[in-house]
Amino acid sequence: MSFVFTILAISAVLSAIGVITSRTPVYSALWLVLNLFLVASLYAVMDAHFLAASQIIVYAGAIMVLVLFVIMLLGLVGVAPKFSPFVTVVSLVAGVGFVAVLTPLFIEFARSSNEIGVTGDVKSVGRLLFTTYLYPFEAASFLIIGAIVGAFALAKKRRT
Amino acid sequence: MLQSTLSNYLILSAVLFTIGVVGVVVRKNAIIVFMCIELMLNAVNISFVAFSRQVGNLDGQIAVFFVMVVAAAEASVGLAIIISVFRAIKSVTTSDSSELKW
Repeated sequence: MSFVFTILAISAVLSAIGVITSRTPVYSALWLVLNLFLVASLYAVMDAHFLAASQIIVYAGAIMVLVLFVIMLLGLVGVAPKFSPFVTVVSLVAGVGFVAVLTPLFIEFARSSNEIGVTGDVKSVGRLLFTTYLYPFEAASFLIIGAIVGAFALAKKRRT
Repeated sequence: MLQSTLSNYLILSAVLFTIGVVGVVVRKNAIIVFMCIELMLNAVNISFVAFSRQVGNLDGQIAVFFVMVVAAAEASVGLAIIISVFRAIKSVTTSDSSELKW
């Protein structure tokens, strides 16, 4: 289990360094997407399955897409990357190797999990959200509505 | 064994948070600064989940849920602000918007 954690932790740190040292905002956004996927894997290793799924759906799937939309909309793309077959082959090999290394570990970990404490599956988290934390849950929905209206009001074109 | 694993997660969270802080201070592009803020929020989420696993209940994971909600709301409003500032001064460099009124 600590081998999985070591790989995920070192990859998360390296991708975070990639976020802050990239030349263009698009590269930074892609490094951050990789970092968010690795952090979601860390949540899954820590038995927080609902959080892992919602991290991928909300953070990597909505927030980073929004950031990339804004980068493209403002025209900050920067240097156009040149196609390089070496980079393509290396990334394919690295991706397949990563999945091949992690999959048997995750399967074995899922089989032997739940040894301490509670798992963060959807049922447990949902029960807590709708009983103990009902008030913050409803307040969060107000927050989201306020953010939608605020983003609309800020970003619409003024007529003058 | 669980104690050493908890400290591993906390060290990872601290390292990611520090990288986010360095990114906010060093980079001049407002969108990259925003992405480093998201890095910091993720680092805090990791330590929340690690502590929730240590304590044994799910309150830390609920906190992470709400941090994600707030981060999504902050992302939309922050990017709308960046778009508005870009429309006014045609730049996303943070040092270009250094005057309150021009």
